[in-house]
This record gives sequence, C-alpha cells and structure tokens, in this order.
Amino acid sequence: MEPVVELQGLRKAFRGHLGLGRSVAVDGLDLRVGRGEIFGLLGPNGAGKTTTLKMMLGLLRPDAGSVRLFGLPPESVAARARIGFLPENPYFYDYLTPVEFLDLYARLHGIPAAERKPRIEQAIARVGLAGRERTALRKLSKGLIQRLGLAQAIQHDPDLVILDEPMSGLDPVGRREVRDLILGMRDAGKTVFFSSHILQDAEMLCDRVAIVFRGRLRAVGKLDDLVSHDAKWIEVGVRGGVPADVPGETTTAPDGTVRIKVRDVAELTRVLAAVPSAGGEVLSVWSRRETLEDLFLREIGNARSEERPS
Amino acid sequence: MRTLTAAGLLAAAVLGAGVARARIVHIEDERRGRKELLFLPNGKYLKAISLGHAPLVADGLYLWAIQYYSDYDQADRYRFVEHVFGDVIAELDPRYTDPYWLGAIILTTEAKDLEAGLRLLDEGFAKNPQEWILPYLAGWECDRVGQYARAAAYFDQAGRAPGAPPALFRLKAGMTALGGDLHEAIARWRDVLDDPRNDDAARAIATRQIRRLTVRADLRDLEGAIEAYRERNGHPPRRLEDLVRAGLLPSVPLDPDGHPYAYDSARGRVSSIADRVLG
Amino acid sequence: MRAVAAIALNTFREAIRDRILYLILAVAIALIAVSRFVSLLTVGSEVKIVKDLGLSAISVFGLLATVFVGVSLVSKEIERRTVFTLLAQPVRRWQFVCGKYAGLLLVLAASIAVTGAALLVAVALKGASPWGLVPAIALIFVELALVAAFAVLFSSFTNPILAAVGTAVTYVVGHLSWSFDLLEKRMPGAAGRVLCRVLHAVLPNLDRLNVKAEAVHDIALPAGYFGAAIAYGVFYSLAVIVIASLVFERREFV
Repeated sequence: MEPVVELQGLRKAFRGHLGLGRSVAVDGLDLRVGRGEIFGLLGPNGAGKTTTLKMMLGLLRPDAGSVRLFGLPPESVAARARIGFLPENPYFYDYLTPVEFLDLYARLHGIPAAERKPRIEQAIARVGLAGRERTALRKLSKGLIQRLGLAQAIQHDPDLVILDEPMSGLDPVGRREVRDLILGMRDAGKTVFFSSHILQDAEMLCDRVAIVFRGRLRAVGKLDDLVSHDAKWIEVGVRGGVPADVPGETTTAPDGTVRIKVRDVAELTRVLAAVPSAGGEVLSVWSRRETLEDLFLREIGNARSEERPS
Repeated sequence: MRTLTAAGLLAAAVLGAGVARARIVHIEDERRGRKELLFLPNGKYLKAISLGHAPLVADGLYLWAIQYYSDYDQADRYRFVEHVFGDVIAELDPRYTDPYWLGAIILTTEAKDLEAGLRLLDEGFAKNPQEWILPYLAGWECDRVGQYARAAAYFDQAGRAPGAPPALFRLKAGMTALGGDLHEAIARWRDVLDDPRNDDAARAIATRQIRRLTVRADLRDLEGAIEAYRERNGHPPRRLEDLVRAGLLPSVPLDPDGHPYAYDSARGRVSSIADRVLG
Repeated sequence: MRAVAAIALNTFREAIRDRILYLILAVAIALIAVSRFVSLLTVGSEVKIVKDLGLSAISVFGLLATVFVGVSLVSKEIERRTVFTLLAQPVRRWQFVCGKYAGLLLVLAASIAVTGAALLVAVALKGASPWGLVPAIALIFVELALVAAFAVLFSSFTNPILAAVGTAVTYVVGHLSWSFDLLEKRMPGAAGRVLCRVLHAVLPNLDRLNVKAEAVHDIALPAGYFGAAIAYGVFYSLAVIVIASLVFERREFV
C-alpha cells in the first residue's frame, strides 16, 4: 500500500549569518509512514524536526531529496487538501473569535456553507472550547489556543494530521486531552505524524518512531522493535528480614521497605527463595524495561561519540 | 501560479499600463502647462501645508519655476511671474534671494515690465536689508531705461546696506550726474573723496569726475546765462563780465585750474581747455 | 476564487478591528470639520480652502492607512507565524497575495468612502456643489490602490519597517517622476538621458493621477483623461501584484 508520507534523501542546509558558513539542518532523511499509524519524529532541540516538517508542508524547499504526501508533492493543492497542520507554539489572529477563526479555515478548505456551521460546532465541542466560541482569541489561554489549533487541524476531516510539538506548554490535563484526541484519530483511521522531544508522550502514543540527531536518522521502526524487551533489572521490595548475601544493590525507602536490585530472573528466583528464610516478606516485584528515553540517550550518546574526533 | 501564466499576465499588464500612459501623455501635451500655474496656491497657505519644510518647498518651486520659464514655447507665461516669485516663493522662504532677482530679470528683460521687476526687488530688499545686490540690480535696471534719478536712489540704498562696497556710492554719483543734476553729482563725488573707506584709485576717479563735472556745470550755467542775455538784448554779451552786471550770474566762474573760460563773443559760445585735457 | 475572497474578508476584518485605522479616520474627519472654520480666515472663496484641505486630507490619511495596514499585511503574518497554518491549507501562494491585496483595497475603499462623504457633506454645507470633487476622489483611490500594490510587494519579501520605508519612497518618487522628464533635457550624456527616459516611463507616475487642482476649480477633465488614468492605475497595480505573487511563490519560511 502506498505510504501516506514518504521522505527520500531529504537534505536542507542554511547559510549562516551574513552568508558566512553553512549549517546543515537535515542530512539525508529517509522515512515512510503508513496509513493509520501514529508516527513520532523524536529528537532533541535543534535536531531538524521542525525543518523536516516545514519541508513536508512546502514551507521550505529541500536542497536535495523529495517529499511525497499521498504520492503528491506538498506544493500540490490536492495533497494539502487532505492534511491538517498544527505548528509549534501557534499564534493565531488574535482579533478573531474561535468561530470566525474556524470559519476562515473551513472556507479555505472549500467546505460548503451549509456544512460549515455544524462542523465548526462539532470541532469546538470536540476540543472542549464550548462556551468560549465568541471570545476574542487574544483573551484565551495558551491551552485553549492550542486546542483551537487542533480543532482547525481536524475540522475538515483530513487523512493525515501533522503536529509540531503538540503538547508543548500544556498542563497535564491538556496533555491528556491531546493524547486522547490523537488516539481517537487513529481509531478513526487517520494517520498522525507528530514531532516531539517529550518521550513519555511518544511512548504512550506511537506505533513507530524515528529518532533524529543533528539532521540524521539514528533509529527508526516500531517502538516494540527498537526497545529491548529484556528487563534491565528487576527490583524486589522486601520488608522485615533481608537476606544476607544479596547479589545486587539495596536501597532503603523511608517507610522501611528495602529495595533489592537483581540482574535477571535467575537471581530473582534465588532472592525470592531467600527472603522468607531471612524472616522478611516480599512486597513487590517490578521489572524495569528499557524505555524510549534509554534508547534515545543511547543513540544520542553514540552519535556524539561518532562525531568526536578520534 | 504557473510561470507562463504569470509572465503572460505581467506582459499584458505592462502593455496596458504603457498604452494608458501614452494616452495620458498625449492628452497632457495638448493642453500644456496652463493648469500648473493657475493653481499655485498662496504662499502663506503653502507654508502651512509644508509642515516645517518651507525652505525645501521653496527650493522645489524655484527649480520648477526655472524650468518652466526656460520653456519659450509657453504662451502667456508672464502672467504669474510676480505671483510665483513674489507671493509664493518669497512667502515660503523670504530670505531666499535668488528668486527675487531672477524673477525681476524675467520681468524686466523678457516681460518688459520694469515696475513689476522693481517691486519684486523692493520686496526682496525689504525682507533682506543686508542684500545690497538687490537694489544694485534695481539701479541698473533703471539705468538701462534711462531713469537716472531713480537709479541713483537705488544705488544710494544699496550703498547704505551693511557690507556694501564703497564703489556703490560712485555709481550713485555717476547716476546723479547722468540724471542731470550736476551740482548734486559734484557733491556726491565729494562724498566719495571724503569717504575714508575709499582707496587711492577711487579718489583719483572722484577727483577727475569732480573736475569734469565742475567744468560741465560751469559751462552749463554760463550757457544758460548767455542764452538769457541773448533773449533780453538780442545779441550775446561782449564779455562774460557783462552777465554779472546784467544780474544773470553771481560771478564769472573760473575753470578748475584757475583760468577763465574761453569765450567767443561773436557766436556766444563758451568752452574750456580744461575739459578737453581730461576728455 | 473563494480562497481569495476568504482571505480578503479576513484581512478586512483584521484592519477594521485595528484601532490605528480608526485613529486615522477620526483625524481625517476632524480635519475636514475644522476646515470649515479655517475658511473663515480667508478672503474670497472660502469653499476652496475646504475643498483643498479635504482632498489633501483624504489623500494623506488614505496613504497613512495604506502604509500602516499594507506593510503589516504579509510581514506581520510572517513575523507572527500565522502564515504557516494558512499556507498549509489548500491555498496557492498567489491566492494568498491576491487575497491580502483585495482585503487592503476593501479597507482603502471604505476609508476613502467615509472621508470622501465627510468632505462632500462639508462642501455642500458651504453651499457649493460637491460633485466636481468626485473624479478627484476616485483618482485618489486609484493612486492609493497602486501604492497599496507596492506595499504588498515590499511586504512579501521584507520586514514591516523596510516595507514601510520602501512604500513611502515609492510614493515620493512617484510624485516626482516629472523631474526625470526635466532632467532628461539637461543631462549631458546620452546614457544619462536614456536612463532618465527609462526611469520616467517605468516609475509610477503618481502625479498624473492627481487631479485635485481641476476638481477644486470645477474644471472638467479633458476627454478620455479619466479613463486613461484609471486604466493606467489598474494595469500598473496588476503588474505589481503579479510580481509580488511571483516573489511570494519563491519564498521560504525559515
């Protein structure tokens, strides 16, 4: 099946101040996103995520390589008719009200007048702006503006939604809501492509991720595939008696529980057997898997050491 | 937008603009200029509008006026010269002297309107009492048309301006002489002689002129007296002393060297060698 | 077309809600009202002062409105990054530019209509016929529409301040284009003369769109002048907007 998003050999460099020097923002990026996926483009600040997104939308022209959305270049109006976009830290026309704002974008998408009103109302309700639809934008909080931006991105029922740092500046409630929204989109069969440097969100949402650093792709694939399933360590919580010859580290929590770190299942079995003999009881067993953060930091570390002159 | 469409539209627009402009220029050529002058508003008004940039506006107007008046094809160009230079530019920037004299020259030389030219120069001098050049020019304009008394008055005015060269008083004296009042002229030349500012050359000139004019004055007085005698008695006097006895002269004048004037009693003519020496 | 209309409407809305516009309009109308009293100072035709002041007020404040609103049109969008979401829509770049320009023209038309009406009323109240002023007001609109096109052009590739300066310079140069005609006659070298000729032809001849003098004295324009002037303004504006669209088409948004 044709990928929804296809980036091939994408390159973009910017001239420095006063034409001196060049800094490469994106260096040979290859990506493919399939239909119905939630795809996360991850990387630290300055990795080239926003530049990549702008090239995907035709706001920048790549020096080399190509961008295809639904098999079409981003300059094509047909392609842009099927996408919704929310930029990072959006700033919208503050003299408009939400209704007027959404109406403008609805018109630009060619939604006929009869359909516009119900769609706008629906979108407003969906992002939780009901009751504020007639307040001028300049009076709304950042979180509400963000939601309005999302409303604009989805109100025309696009097949691909592109979000640049959608959670930035939101409180936990807001973030939860955005997460739910994104999951809802996937359930409706849409494709979601978002960039972020907040890994927890990606972990919770993404089917596939790409990790970029300094414009280069460091890792790409399904989350499950990338992150090792082996436990890094297993932690046992014990109260009362602690076995004497414990292989791993122990830390004592303020409430008196002792936490023992063991390396693998074999050690775990031995400790579990030893605790009752020591007179203690096992309260909890918890295995720490590699998280996306671990992977991320590892890749970054590798990248940095590759760049260091030997 | 496809480049071809854009290029086509651009070409069409440029063409359209070009054609329209040509039409406008054509219409304008047919009714050149008249509209520009008639509607130059009064200087006071322009000054208010110029929002503190009056001198700049004056410059602009002056430049425009020069171009305008250089164009000899204009019919009826002189109608508003005084208005432009005297009311408008002068009002915008009264200290700007060039327009006064240029306007005056245009008026006197080309429009043949001496009075208007002089009015302009008067106005300029009134607003700029240190610009002796303006009454100086006025004096010359009067001289050109033979109004010597007026010329003398202007040169006097010019001479009194601060910083004016002393030569101006010579001009004044000269004009007075030309104006016919010889005694007055002699007195003016004596002023020049007495003026400490004048150098030796100037004084030499003054001396010469006094000499010349004295002779001329004497001769004129004598001729006048002889004529009066002739009318009374039917013939000229035998000797100049007869004129004194007849009460027509207070005394017989001597030339500047102290010699009596030559008198030809047969024809009643009086002359002087002193005059001829100087020539 | 609907995209252009939507953007135009939005631009108009933005300008209408900007207090600067009201300030400009208020001052213009105040000036026209005051002119009635200024005319008491003059001897002779009082209504001339009202007409002169009124036409100049409409022109000057129309220019201010054009510059203030016009230069921020695209520049502000880019600075505020509102342009990103807009360009991610199925809108072509030239539609964006044309929509902005159309919106600006709407603002201009509204401003001139309001101030023009005030002037016509002021003149009528003085007992004179105001209808001779209508051609002049119409050509003021055409002239400012052309300046507005330049504002959009500059706005499409530079920041608001430079765009404002560029537009102001264009206005001044446009009104001094006759000087190139004069310079041409005095230039010593042939190259200089050709340059003057070219400049005179290419630069916008805004002074030719100025018929305030005739209007104030109720002199009819020569046949065909009005039409030719409007045509000139329209075609020239079109050319400038096409160029602006092309420039904006190539623009990258870092």
